[in-house]
Amino acid sequence: MSLDYFILVFLSSLGVYQIVAIPAKLDGLCFFKHPIIQYIFGILAIIGAFGWFYTSSDRNIHTSVEGSQQLGLFLGSIIASYVFTAVLASIMQAKVNSKGGIPREGKQYDMGIETLKKTTLFGGIMSSLRKERKDKV
Amino acid sequence: MPPLAGWTLTVTGFVGKSPALDHVMRLLVNDFFIPLVICLILLVLWLGYSDRTKRDRVQRIVMNAAVAIGISALVVKLINNFVNPWPRPFLVNDSVIRESARRAAETIFYFPHDPTFPSNGATIAFAAATGVWLGHRKAGAILYALATLWAVARFYAGVHFFVDVVGGAAIGILTALFISKIFMPRVEPFPTWVMKLCRLLYLA
Repeated sequence: MSLDYFILVFLSSLGVYQIVAIPAKLDGLCFFKHPIIQYIFGILAIIGAFGWFYTSSDRNIHTSVEGSQQLGLFLGSIIASYVFTAVLASIMQAKVNSKGGIPREGKQYDMGIETLKKTTLFGGIMSSLRKERKDKV
Repeated sequence: MPPLAGWTLTVTGFVGKSPALDHVMRLLVNDFFIPLVICLILLVLWLGYSDRTKRDRVQRIVMNAAVAIGISALVVKLINNFVNPWPRPFLVNDSVIRESARRAAETIFYFPHDPTFPSNGATIAFAAATGVWLGHRKAGAILYALATLWAVARFYAGVHFFVDVVGGAAIGILTALFISKIFMPRVEPFPTWVMKLCRLLYLA
Protein backbone atom coordinates (compact mmCIF):
# COMPACT_ATOMS: atom_id res chain seq x y z
CA MET A 1 0.00 0.00 0.00
CA SER A 2 2.86 2.41 0.84
CA LEU A 3 4.40 1.98 -2.60
CA ASP A 4 1.01 2.39 -4.28
CA TYR A 5 0.39 5.59 -2.35
CA PHE A 6 3.87 6.86 -3.24
CA ILE A 7 3.19 6.21 -6.95
CA LEU A 8 -0.25 7.88 -6.72
CA VAL A 9 1.24 11.04 -5.21
CA PHE A 10 4.22 10.97 -7.57
CA LEU A 11 2.10 10.80 -10.72
CA SER A 12 -0.62 13.20 -9.58
CA SER A 13 1.91 15.81 -8.44
CA LEU A 14 3.72 15.35 -11.76
CA GLY A 15 0.43 16.32 -13.41
CA VAL A 16 0.00 19.26 -11.05
CA TYR A 17 3.50 20.57 -11.86
CA GLN A 18 2.75 20.44 -15.58
CA ILE A 19 -0.55 22.27 -15.14
CA VAL A 20 0.66 25.00 -12.74
CA ALA A 21 3.83 25.61 -14.75
CA ILE A 22 1.66 27.34 -17.39
CA PRO A 23 0.02 30.12 -15.30
CA ALA A 24 3.13 30.43 -13.12
CA LYS A 25 5.26 30.75 -16.31
CA LEU A 26 7.75 28.21 -14.95
CA ASP A 27 9.18 27.23 -18.33
CA GLY A 28 11.94 25.28 -16.61
CA LEU A 29 9.36 22.70 -15.49
CA CYS A 30 7.60 22.29 -18.84
CA PHE A 31 7.81 19.05 -20.79
CA PHE A 32 6.05 20.48 -23.83
CA LYS A 33 6.19 23.71 -25.81
CA HIS A 34 2.43 23.85 -26.37
CA PRO A 35 0.36 24.74 -23.29
CA ILE A 36 -2.65 22.72 -24.48
CA ILE A 37 -0.62 19.53 -24.79
CA GLN A 38 0.83 20.25 -21.38
CA TYR A 39 -2.62 20.76 -19.83
CA ILE A 40 -3.84 17.52 -21.38
CA PHE A 41 -0.76 15.65 -20.15
CA GLY A 42 -1.20 17.06 -16.65
CA ILE A 43 -4.89 16.21 -16.44
CA LEU A 44 -4.29 12.71 -17.83
CA ALA A 45 -1.50 12.12 -15.28
CA ILE A 46 -3.80 13.10 -12.40
CA ILE A 47 -6.85 11.18 -13.64
CA GLY A 48 -4.68 8.20 -14.59
CA ALA A 49 -3.02 8.11 -11.17
CA PHE A 50 -6.31 8.28 -9.25
CA GLY A 51 -8.01 5.90 -11.68
CA TRP A 52 -5.24 3.32 -11.34
CA PHE A 53 -5.06 3.64 -7.54
CA TYR A 54 -8.78 3.23 -6.93
CA THR A 55 -9.52 0.57 -9.54
CA SER A 56 -6.51 -1.67 -8.96
CA SER A 57 -7.49 -2.70 -5.44
CA ASP A 58 -9.96 -2.10 -2.59
CA ARG A 59 -8.54 0.93 -0.79
CA ASN A 60 -11.04 1.00 2.07
CA ILE A 61 -9.15 -1.47 4.19
CA HIS A 62 -7.21 -1.09 7.40
CA THR A 63 -3.59 -0.40 6.40
CA SER A 64 -0.33 0.49 8.07
CA VAL A 65 -0.17 3.80 6.14
CA GLU A 66 -1.54 6.22 8.69
CA GLY A 67 -1.08 9.78 9.90
CA SER A 68 2.55 10.76 10.07
CA GLN A 69 3.63 7.99 7.70
CA GLN A 70 1.16 9.26 5.11
CA LEU A 71 2.53 12.79 5.51
CA GLY A 72 6.11 11.54 5.18
CA LEU A 73 5.27 9.56 2.05
CA PHE A 74 3.46 12.57 0.59
CA LEU A 75 6.38 14.95 1.19
CA GLY A 76 8.93 12.45 -0.11
CA SER A 77 6.85 11.76 -3.17
CA ILE A 78 6.13 15.38 -4.15
CA ILE A 79 9.82 16.28 -3.77
CA ALA A 80 10.87 13.22 -5.81
CA SER A 81 8.30 14.16 -8.45
CA TYR A 82 9.53 17.77 -8.47
CA VAL A 83 13.16 16.70 -8.93
CA PHE A 84 12.11 14.22 -11.64
CA THR A 85 10.10 16.94 -13.43
CA ALA A 86 12.91 19.51 -13.22
CA VAL A 87 15.59 17.05 -14.36
CA LEU A 88 13.49 15.63 -17.21
CA ALA A 89 12.51 19.13 -18.35
CA SER A 90 16.21 20.14 -18.27
CA ILE A 91 17.15 17.17 -20.44
CA MET A 92 14.25 17.65 -22.85
CA GLN A 93 14.83 21.38 -23.23
CA ALA A 94 18.57 20.90 -23.65
CA LYS A 95 17.84 18.50 -26.51
CA VAL A 96 15.33 20.81 -28.16
CA ASN A 97 17.46 23.90 -27.80
CA SER A 98 21.14 23.56 -27.08
CA LYS A 99 21.10 27.10 -25.69
CA GLY A 100 18.23 26.29 -23.36
CA GLY A 101 20.44 25.58 -20.38
CA ILE A 102 22.68 28.59 -20.81
CA PRO A 103 21.54 31.40 -18.53
CA ARG A 104 20.96 34.88 -19.86
CA GLU A 105 22.67 37.91 -18.42
CA GLY A 106 21.32 38.96 -15.05
CA LYS A 107 19.37 35.83 -14.21
CA GLN A 108 21.92 34.67 -11.66
CA TYR A 109 20.40 37.19 -9.26
CA ASP A 110 17.10 35.28 -9.25
CA MET A 111 16.58 32.74 -6.54
CA GLY A 112 14.51 29.58 -6.14
CA ILE A 113 11.74 28.69 -8.55
CA GLU A 114 11.84 32.24 -9.94
CA THR A 115 14.92 31.01 -11.79
CA LEU A 116 12.80 28.37 -13.54
CA LYS A 117 10.95 31.12 -15.41
CA LYS A 118 14.04 31.79 -17.48
CA THR A 119 16.01 28.59 -17.44
CA THR A 120 15.88 24.93 -16.43
CA LEU A 121 17.02 23.45 -13.11
CA PHE A 122 20.39 22.52 -14.63
CA GLY A 123 20.67 26.01 -16.10
CA GLY A 124 19.91 27.57 -12.72
CA ILE A 125 22.43 25.40 -10.89
CA MET A 126 25.11 26.11 -13.52
CA SER A 127 24.33 29.81 -13.27
CA SER A 128 24.71 29.77 -9.47
CA LEU A 129 27.99 27.85 -9.70
CA ARG A 130 29.34 30.28 -12.30
CA LYS A 131 28.36 33.22 -10.12
CA GLU A 132 30.07 31.67 -7.09
CA ARG A 133 33.25 31.07 -9.10
CA LYS A 134 33.14 34.62 -10.44
CA ASP A 135 32.69 36.02 -6.91
CA LYS A 136 35.72 34.03 -5.66
CA VAL A 137 37.89 35.37 -8.50
CA MET B 1 -22.79 7.59 24.67
CA PRO B 2 -22.18 11.08 23.33
CA PRO B 3 -24.89 13.72 22.87
CA LEU B 4 -26.87 13.43 19.62
CA ALA B 5 -25.91 9.74 19.28
CA GLY B 6 -29.34 9.11 17.80
CA TRP B 7 -28.35 11.01 14.68
CA THR B 8 -25.95 8.16 13.86
CA LEU B 9 -28.92 5.82 13.62
CA THR B 10 -30.72 8.20 11.24
CA VAL B 11 -27.72 8.75 8.95
CA THR B 12 -26.40 5.18 8.86
CA GLY B 13 -29.96 4.10 8.08
CA PHE B 14 -29.44 5.46 4.55
CA VAL B 15 -26.54 3.10 3.85
CA GLY B 16 -27.53 0.41 1.40
CA LYS B 17 -30.58 2.28 0.12
CA SER B 18 -28.79 4.02 -2.76
CA PRO B 19 -25.86 2.13 -4.28
CA ALA B 20 -24.75 5.27 -6.18
CA LEU B 21 -24.57 7.30 -2.96
CA ASP B 22 -22.71 4.46 -1.25
CA HIS B 23 -20.14 4.38 -4.07
CA VAL B 24 -19.55 8.13 -3.76
CA MET B 25 -19.27 7.84 0.00
CA ARG B 26 -16.81 4.94 -0.31
CA LEU B 27 -14.52 7.28 -2.23
CA LEU B 28 -15.07 10.32 0.01
CA VAL B 29 -14.53 8.41 3.26
CA ASN B 30 -11.27 6.88 2.02
CA ASP B 31 -8.12 7.56 4.05
CA PHE B 32 -6.26 8.88 1.01
CA PHE B 33 -8.65 10.60 -1.40
CA ILE B 34 -9.67 13.87 0.26
CA PRO B 35 -6.38 14.32 2.17
CA LEU B 36 -4.48 13.98 -1.10
CA VAL B 37 -6.80 16.36 -2.97
CA ILE B 38 -6.33 18.91 -0.17
CA CYS B 39 -2.54 18.50 -0.34
CA LEU B 40 -2.56 18.84 -4.14
CA ILE B 41 -4.54 22.09 -3.81
CA LEU B 42 -1.89 23.32 -1.36
CA LEU B 43 0.74 22.36 -3.95
CA VAL B 44 -1.10 24.32 -6.65
CA LEU B 45 -1.19 27.36 -4.35
CA TRP B 46 2.50 26.94 -3.53
CA LEU B 47 3.62 27.05 -7.16
CA GLY B 48 0.72 28.49 -9.08
CA TYR B 49 1.45 32.23 -9.07
CA SER B 50 3.62 34.00 -11.57
CA ASP B 51 3.95 37.21 -9.58
CA ARG B 52 6.78 36.85 -7.11
CA THR B 53 5.25 38.97 -4.33
CA LYS B 54 1.91 37.21 -4.52
CA ARG B 55 3.58 33.81 -4.63
CA ASP B 56 5.64 34.64 -1.54
CA ARG B 57 2.49 35.69 0.30
CA VAL B 58 0.55 32.57 -0.72
CA GLN B 59 3.51 30.31 0.14
CA ARG B 60 3.44 31.78 3.67
CA ILE B 61 -0.25 30.91 3.88
CA VAL B 62 0.43 27.35 2.71
CA MET B 63 3.24 27.07 5.28
CA ASN B 64 0.86 28.24 8.03
CA ALA B 65 -1.73 25.67 6.90
CA ALA B 66 0.89 22.90 6.82
CA VAL B 67 2.06 23.77 10.34
CA ALA B 68 -1.60 23.90 11.48
CA ILE B 69 -2.14 20.39 10.06
CA GLY B 70 0.88 19.05 11.96
CA ILE B 71 0.07 20.76 15.25
CA SER B 72 -3.63 19.82 15.12
CA ALA B 73 -2.65 16.16 14.56
CA LEU B 74 -0.46 16.43 17.66
CA VAL B 75 -3.33 17.99 19.62
CA VAL B 76 -5.54 15.02 18.68
CA LYS B 77 -2.82 12.60 19.81
CA LEU B 78 -2.54 14.46 23.12
CA ILE B 79 -6.31 14.44 23.66
CA ASN B 80 -6.43 10.72 22.87
CA ASN B 81 -3.78 10.06 25.53
CA PHE B 82 -5.94 11.60 28.26
CA VAL B 83 -9.53 11.40 27.07
CA ASN B 84 -11.40 8.57 25.40
CA PRO B 85 -14.97 9.42 26.35
CA TRP B 86 -16.89 6.86 24.31
CA PRO B 87 -16.28 3.95 21.93
CA ARG B 88 -16.79 3.95 18.16
CA PRO B 89 -20.48 3.87 17.11
CA PHE B 90 -20.18 0.20 16.06
CA LEU B 91 -18.91 -0.71 19.54
CA VAL B 92 -21.46 1.03 21.79
CA ASN B 93 -23.76 -0.82 24.20
CA ASP B 94 -26.96 0.34 22.49
CA SER B 95 -27.59 -2.59 20.15
CA VAL B 96 -29.73 -0.64 17.64
CA ILE B 97 -27.10 2.05 17.04
CA ARG B 98 -24.30 -0.53 17.18
CA GLU B 99 -25.79 -2.78 14.52
CA SER B 100 -26.73 0.10 12.21
CA ALA B 101 -23.22 1.59 12.47
CA ARG B 102 -21.61 -1.85 12.09
CA ARG B 103 -23.55 -2.47 8.87
CA ALA B 104 -22.62 1.00 7.55
CA ALA B 105 -18.92 0.64 8.38
CA GLU B 106 -18.84 -2.84 6.81
CA THR B 107 -20.47 -1.57 3.60
CA ILE B 108 -18.68 1.77 3.22
CA PHE B 109 -15.38 1.61 5.10
CA TYR B 110 -13.68 -0.69 7.62
CA PHE B 111 -13.60 -0.94 11.42
CA PRO B 112 -11.02 1.49 12.80
CA HIS B 113 -10.10 0.86 16.43
CA ASP B 114 -8.29 4.04 17.42
CA PRO B 115 -10.17 6.55 19.63
CA THR B 116 -13.23 8.08 18.00
CA PHE B 117 -13.15 11.54 19.63
CA PRO B 118 -12.11 13.85 18.08
CA SER B 119 -12.26 12.84 14.43
CA ASN B 120 -8.67 12.93 13.16
CA GLY B 121 -9.75 13.52 9.57
CA ALA B 122 -12.08 16.41 10.43
CA THR B 123 -9.38 17.99 12.58
CA ILE B 124 -6.63 18.09 9.96
CA ALA B 125 -8.97 18.93 7.06
CA PHE B 126 -10.53 21.89 8.90
CA ALA B 127 -7.08 23.00 10.10
CA ALA B 128 -5.89 23.09 6.47
CA ALA B 129 -9.04 24.86 5.28
CA THR B 130 -8.88 27.53 8.01
CA GLY B 131 -5.15 28.08 7.52
CA VAL B 132 -5.71 28.74 3.82
CA TRP B 133 -9.00 30.64 4.21
CA LEU B 134 -7.33 33.27 6.41
CA GLY B 135 -5.21 34.37 3.44
CA HIS B 136 -6.95 33.02 0.33
CA ARG B 137 -10.75 33.03 0.53
CA LYS B 138 -11.48 31.13 -2.73
CA ALA B 139 -9.12 28.23 -2.07
CA GLY B 140 -10.18 28.25 1.59
CA ALA B 141 -13.83 27.83 0.59
CA ILE B 142 -12.96 24.86 -1.64
CA LEU B 143 -10.99 23.27 1.20
CA TYR B 144 -13.87 23.86 3.64
CA ALA B 145 -16.20 22.09 1.20
CA LEU B 146 -13.79 19.13 0.96
CA ALA B 147 -13.34 19.03 4.75
CA THR B 148 -17.12 19.02 5.23
CA LEU B 149 -17.55 16.22 2.68
CA TRP B 150 -14.91 14.14 4.45
CA ALA B 151 -16.51 14.71 7.85
CA VAL B 152 -19.99 13.89 6.53
CA ALA B 153 -18.67 10.73 4.84
CA ARG B 154 -17.09 9.54 8.12
CA PHE B 155 -20.36 10.17 9.92
CA TYR B 156 -22.33 8.41 7.17
CA ALA B 157 -19.99 5.40 7.32
CA GLY B 158 -20.78 4.92 11.00
CA VAL B 159 -17.18 5.31 12.18
CA HIS B 160 -17.77 8.59 14.04
CA PHE B 161 -20.54 10.20 16.04
CA PHE B 162 -21.71 13.67 15.02
CA VAL B 163 -19.99 15.13 18.10
CA ASP B 164 -16.68 13.54 17.03
CA VAL B 165 -16.58 15.32 13.68
CA VAL B 166 -17.85 18.63 15.06
CA GLY B 167 -15.31 18.41 17.89
CA GLY B 168 -12.56 17.61 15.38
CA ALA B 169 -13.57 20.51 13.15
CA ALA B 170 -13.56 22.91 16.13
CA ILE B 171 -10.09 21.74 17.22
CA GLY B 172 -8.78 22.10 13.66
CA ILE B 173 -10.22 25.60 13.23
CA LEU B 174 -8.97 26.84 16.61
CA THR B 175 -5.51 25.35 16.07
CA ALA B 176 -5.21 26.98 12.63
CA LEU B 177 -6.33 30.34 14.03
CA PHE B 178 -3.76 30.05 16.82
CA ILE B 179 -0.98 29.04 14.41
CA SER B 180 -1.70 31.71 11.79
CA LYS B 181 -2.53 34.62 14.06
CA ILE B 182 -0.35 34.06 17.13
CA PHE B 183 2.26 31.32 16.74
CA MET B 184 3.81 31.96 13.30
CA PRO B 185 4.24 35.75 13.71
CA ARG B 186 5.89 35.15 17.10
CA VAL B 187 8.42 32.59 15.84
CA GLU B 188 9.87 34.87 13.18
CA PRO B 189 12.50 34.70 11.74
CA PHE B 190 12.21 30.86 11.63
CA PRO B 191 9.51 30.84 8.92
CA THR B 192 11.61 33.27 6.86
CA TRP B 193 14.64 31.00 7.22
CA VAL B 194 12.57 28.02 6.09
CA MET B 195 11.41 29.98 3.05
CA LYS B 196 15.00 30.97 2.26
CA LEU B 197 16.13 27.35 2.55
CA CYS B 198 13.30 26.29 0.21
CA ARG B 199 14.39 28.99 -2.24
CA LEU B 200 17.98 27.81 -2.05
CA LEU B 201 16.79 24.30 -2.94
CA TYR B 202 14.62 25.62 -5.82
CA LEU B 203 11.49 24.53 -3.92
CA ALA B 204 9.99 27.98 -3.38
